[in-house]
Amino acid sequence: METRSTPERRSEYPASSLPARAGAGFKSAHFADIEAAAPGVGFFEIHAENYMGAGGPPHAQLMRLRRDFPLSIHGVGLSIGGAEPLDREHLRRVKSLVDRYAPAAFSEHLAWSTQGGRFLNDLLPLPYNSTTLAHVVAHVDEIQETLGRPILLENPAAYLRFQSSDYSEIDFLLEIARRTDCRLLLDVTNAYVSATNLDFSAEDYIDAFPMSYVEEIHLAGYAEDADEIGDLLLIDAHCAPVQQGVWRLYDRALTRRGPVATLIEWDNDIPPWPLLLEQATHAEQFLKSRRRAAVDDAGSEALHDGVG
Amino acid sequence: MTASVDFDQGAFVRALLDPELPTPNGLEARRGLQPERRFAVYRNNVCVGLVDALAERFPVCRQLVGDEFFRAMARCYVRDLLPRTPMLFDYGNDFADFVSSFEPAREVPYLADVAQLEYAVGQSYHAENAAPLSMDALRALPFDRLAGATAELHPSTHVVASQYPIVSIWRRHMSDDDAAQLELDHGEEALVVRPHLTINVTALPVGGSAFVRALERGEAFGQAVDAASGLTPEFDLTACLQALFLAEAFLAVNVSH
Amino acid sequence: MSDKKLRAAFAIAGAFAAACSLAETAQAAKSEEKCFGVSLKGKNDCAAGPGTSCAGTSKTDYQGGAWKYVPKGTCTSIVTPKGKGSLEPIAD
Repeated sequence: METRSTPERRSEYPASSLPARAGAGFKSAHFADIEAAAPGVGFFEIHAENYMGAGGPPHAQLMRLRRDFPLSIHGVGLSIGGAEPLDREHLRRVKSLVDRYAPAAFSEHLAWSTQGGRFLNDLLPLPYNSTTLAHVVAHVDEIQETLGRPILLENPAAYLRFQSSDYSEIDFLLEIARRTDCRLLLDVTNAYVSATNLDFSAEDYIDAFPMSYVEEIHLAGYAEDADEIGDLLLIDAHCAPVQQGVWRLYDRALTRRGPVATLIEWDNDIPPWPLLLEQATHAEQFLKSRRRAAVDDAGSEALHDGVG
Repeated sequence: MTASVDFDQGAFVRALLDPELPTPNGLEARRGLQPERRFAVYRNNVCVGLVDALAERFPVCRQLVGDEFFRAMARCYVRDLLPRTPMLFDYGNDFADFVSSFEPAREVPYLADVAQLEYAVGQSYHAENAAPLSMDALRALPFDRLAGATAELHPSTHVVASQYPIVSIWRRHMSDDDAAQLELDHGEEALVVRPHLTINVTALPVGGSAFVRALERGEAFGQAVDAASGLTPEFDLTACLQALFLAEAFLAVNVSH
Repeated sequence: MSDKKLRAAFAIAGAFAAACSLAETAQAAKSEEKCFGVSLKGKNDCAAGPGTSCAGTSKTDYQGGAWKYVPKGTCTSIVTPKGKGSLEPIAD
């Protein structure tokens, strides 16, 4: 199989020490099941903002989880894509959580969620141009300096775009990664949702994504809605099993990237634990066959070397 | 091509929160479509996300007025009062105040107090951990010198006093126990404590909340008793202490020398 | 120490001693008062309150419009000031 060249450069220290395995988004409703069965998932991911209370069951559960599994912390509230300065108090809260649990990875979104001291609780879109690039780069720099580690930045799900965008999303992400040395979290569902909603090819997006920066993948199920003319409009609702089209796109991404930590996100209409575990197991199968393919490639290369 | 100008996020937010406002300029959907339907997705995410958050924080209030009424009321609150931090478990600190001045909820007069109790339960859940005084430690206190002693209460301790039986109302809805009639002819003073990992919600005897608040202000037991019995002459100190002991509400008792 | 203060100190000492005994008895009997936790019936999660989400929603509900709702409680055993049962306003 042809190995694609990776022209992007990145520093040798990974931002993530997550295993190249399938993980699950942790929900406290599943704690008893997880504790009882010690399931074979590669890691758990939590939302930082839900663990910023002083104590109580959330930290008791998280300490237990951290003892038995690699942990990824995913922030939803730093508002990296905002034009305003970062909320320093919130950044301090993130830092103390990251310091306390020393997770294998910390990730955030290319989006904004806070304006004028008010939190909107949604990942809102931004235009991709030199002005917004400067804001995002400054914010990522400040976060990485505060945390003392590179972060992973995630591509958003889009429902519209801005006339004032001068960069493609991929060029924008690549430029951020180059300037800040952050890494990327490729949300394959977001790519699929954005491509459907904005009429571009999801395959081209995956083929162009700077894979050498990718240290984690997200997968989730979307919801189907309709445009004003009845066309399909996808909502990134994290409310269902991962759909077939997304699995195909995931496989395409793995072919380019190789095996990498993959999270199943399920945040709305939370299923019983076995159903979430089944999704993770399914992702694990893709990772396994990709690992096998990598071994085969290495084997045939060694054979060629021997012959040569 | 024009130079990129700063994207006006304030205007974007105003339009998100007020569906009467037009969709902001400069947005595009896919070819041939108007951006209104797409902008509505974000409007909807913000509104539904925060209304859902309130529905989770105030599940008993939601049951008391029904889902439709609760969500409509929560939408009004969301538009007036967005969260100040991304920690959603903290959202709704002034929801009880909002409810008490919300005209359509007038006919459910205990709703605001139940909201206050539910908020206290949430605060207690996330409060700092600390080891409460054991029964043995309480037993070992020099009882005859306690009038001048002060107390430290567990950081998860909250009291909510109401002229309605809010503890009974809350319990009934948390336990699906709908058997007996519940008369609204008396008040209850709720004590919320999470000494370990489980939250205790109990009713204190009348005057108990004034007693606890006085202790929280740093007043000695003697003064706290005066504060409670000044307000309610029938204040029963023994019953009140018993409830506080059972709830494991004491962290320390400081006897002066 | 004044007579009044002495009486107060005595009352407090007595109340503490009595409350300790009562609490110990109740604890031993595993009284429901002791631990009416929200863990009952698996509802402990309710106390956690809302979590954050990085997802959108397909449930549409953002339009304002005129106020047209009346409270419709699901609990009908509360005796309201207007009589027991439904919390809907009673028609004149």
